[in-house]
Amino acid sequence: MNGFASHDLDESAFGEKSGGGLRTFDAFPKTKSTYTRRTTGGGFATLTLAALSCFLTMNEFKGWYRGQESQQFSVEKGVSHTMQVNIDAVVAMRCADLHINVQDASGDRILAGELLTKEPTSWALWVNPAKIHHQSNKKDRKSREATESEDTHVGHVIGEVRKSSRKFPKSPAMRRGVIPDACRIYGSLEGNKVQGDFHITARGHGYKEFGEHLAHDAFNFTHLISELSFGPLYPSLLNPLDHTLARTKEHFNRFQYYLSIVPTVYTRSRNPTLPSSSDPQAQIAARSRNTIFTNQYAVTQSSAEVPENQIPGIFFKYDIEPILLMVSETRDDLLYLVVRIVNIISGIMVGGGWIYQLWGWGKENFATDGARRRANFGDGMLNGRKEEIYEGRYD
Amino acid sequence: MPAKNRFVRLDAFTKTVEDARVRTTSGGIVTIVSLLVIFWLTWGEWSDYRRIVVRPELVVDKGRGERMEIHLNVTFPRVPCELLTLDVMDVSGEQQTGVEHGVNKVRLTPESEGSNQIAVTALDLHSPEEIASHLDPSYCGNCYGAPSPAGALKDGCCQTCSEVRDAYAGASWAFGRGENVEQCQREHYSERLDEQRDEGCRIEGNLRVNKVVGNFHIAPGRSFSNGNMHLHDLENFYSTPIDHPHTFTHEIHQLRFGPQVPEALMDGLRSDQTWTNHHLNPLDGTRQVTDRPAFNYMYFVKVVSTSYLPLGAKGLKDSAYSDLSPLGSHGVNSDGSLETHQYSVTSHKRDLAGGNDAQEGHKERVHARGGIPGIFFSYDISPMKVVNREERRKTFLGLLTGIMAVVGGTLTVAAAIDRTLYEGVSQLKKLNTR
Repeated sequence: MNGFASHDLDESAFGEKSGGGLRTFDAFPKTKSTYTRRTTGGGFATLTLAALSCFLTMNEFKGWYRGQESQQFSVEKGVSHTMQVNIDAVVAMRCADLHINVQDASGDRILAGELLTKEPTSWALWVNPAKIHHQSNKKDRKSREATESEDTHVGHVIGEVRKSSRKFPKSPAMRRGVIPDACRIYGSLEGNKVQGDFHITARGHGYKEFGEHLAHDAFNFTHLISELSFGPLYPSLLNPLDHTLARTKEHFNRFQYYLSIVPTVYTRSRNPTLPSSSDPQAQIAARSRNTIFTNQYAVTQSSAEVPENQIPGIFFKYDIEPILLMVSETRDDLLYLVVRIVNIISGIMVGGGWIYQLWGWGKENFATDGARRRANFGDGMLNGRKEEIYEGRYD
Repeated sequence: MPAKNRFVRLDAFTKTVEDARVRTTSGGIVTIVSLLVIFWLTWGEWSDYRRIVVRPELVVDKGRGERMEIHLNVTFPRVPCELLTLDVMDVSGEQQTGVEHGVNKVRLTPESEGSNQIAVTALDLHSPEEIASHLDPSYCGNCYGAPSPAGALKDGCCQTCSEVRDAYAGASWAFGRGENVEQCQREHYSERLDEQRDEGCRIEGNLRVNKVVGNFHIAPGRSFSNGNMHLHDLENFYSTPIDHPHTFTHEIHQLRFGPQVPEALMDGLRSDQTWTNHHLNPLDGTRQVTDRPAFNYMYFVKVVSTSYLPLGAKGLKDSAYSDLSPLGSHGVNSDGSLETHQYSVTSHKRDLAGGNDAQEGHKERVHARGGIPGIFFSYDISPMKVVNREERRKTFLGLLTGIMAVVGGTLTVAAAIDRTLYEGVSQLKKLNTR
């Protein structure tokens, strides 16, 4: 059936004479088809331009979909109180001989030993070369650096965190009859969110009130850190000290780690609305799937043999930076995308049209003026080789 | 082909002769719609151009010899003004030098009577407090064995009760209520103290301190230094004749380091970045309640310098010379830029008797024992500085380019749509007529 007739779109609707109405507003006058000419070259050019604009549009769309990552910083809001510390470490000493404490700037002492799980284990089980990071190994360092740099991107971090469990892994089982010679210390504890010092010392050294004096030749502070992080536990994120091994042959050795903690928010939402009240960290931890609150840290370490009047052990001294880093991945408005795509397409069409016309003009010019010349220099002009395609223009 | 001018040949905008043109209704509709779209997008470009955004930058604070102002307004409903002392010191426990201050103590009626204002007295280091002017010029008050305080009215003498208390503080002796001290009995010190027992106190004002790590605290009793120790005379705080003890229940109305950022600026910040870079003082309007007298509150404050450069401000200034500005107006520059500070804070409280946080489910957290009741602020200065700069998002040329792009783009696409419509319709028509 004739759909156009029913919509008043018959021959006369497109005619010149029956004017009036909206037609007068038409700013895009079309040339009557009798006056236009289609050429193979024109069709080819149109196809090329269409393909090009498709390609660029796709590209633009992909870029928009991927979003942009930006880093912002701000001074932490709200009044904070506590901060979670997660540790998973193996020390080559018996559990009964170890003391774990946190001493912080507020004067509090946190008896971490009561809160963390101490598990007797065998040192040999843990020193598995595949998993541990050796500072000296170049290849190792490369791959670790790659993982660490991946961990700075929002998409990766959020993906990892969703995938992984929030628990400490189980210890490898000891064979029967093996006498445990090491101690695995793991767990999370709530510390005050102030500068502090987390230390693992030997019984009877450092804190006089706990336990008997331990013979000096039982000291061996060789240790393996599997996890040390602050804030909610995300075992899949690689922190600078995770999977690092520190060895010593001395009995009286002091390992010092100086950590600077930078609170970090990874977010995908445009406006991560943060709670204004009390403890920001605790509240965000329980919050949306697209925002992760964690803490990164920078670390420097030292290891030295100490004289007998000093306290040997493993000491983590941490301080919290006041400036919070926010890594956000955002997408522009859909409208912006549309405007950009429109710009691209129209740019291609106009620009392509001009080039095509210029090309035609050039040909025309040389075809009339330089017909003679053409005989001499067959390939003298713009892509003269494909001329036969456009012969329709000159008929 | 007729001979043409070279320029005519260069014409990229070939025109169709009028006879060859077709105007259609669909074309008219497309034109009007595209015009509307153009207006809408152009308006968007314009408002984008007019919008002022605040762009934060992070730089290292290069100022030196700077000072900063602490604005403080704290209410203690359960401690009378007579007992409260404000001390400013740096980390080593030494008194900070050159602290300028304009701090007032406001006496408040008892909490049960609504904590209304009674009287305001300026807290001043060397006020002629109750000078014994009616005394015989040759009078020399007894210091009761303590060495006369530095800066006494008369060398070697203690003329007033306050001087006797200073002398006792200097000798690290507890002073108590001043019974059997002639000067204090004359001034009715103990009666006045007892009269005020039920009262509360508000401490408000400005302190100008060196921009170094330091702390200030509000604690009961005269403070004195003994070697490395900073001590307070707590006698009057603990032994009270009234039935309820003094406590350091307090409400912080305001604590800021530097001038307040005007609301207008804040709005600009808020609209753009929802929560980064608000200049908020996190402690404002917080309240902590305790019913134990020996209780200590600590606030660990990390101060980050922040400046606000509104549109047209000339840039960062070295604020080392702005010391001449009157107290309370430090950091406000004539061109509208602001030098202020933001801070992040961690609060901590403990009972002086020690113990643990078993009530809060943290029995592993053992508090230190001993110390001074009161509220303590220890502040640390961050090496980083946040510069919030107001900017126009686009230049005028950028606006022109944007508008051109919008107009050109929309028209081209509209032309393409129109062409497609036209072609499609004529094709269909051909099919139908065939």
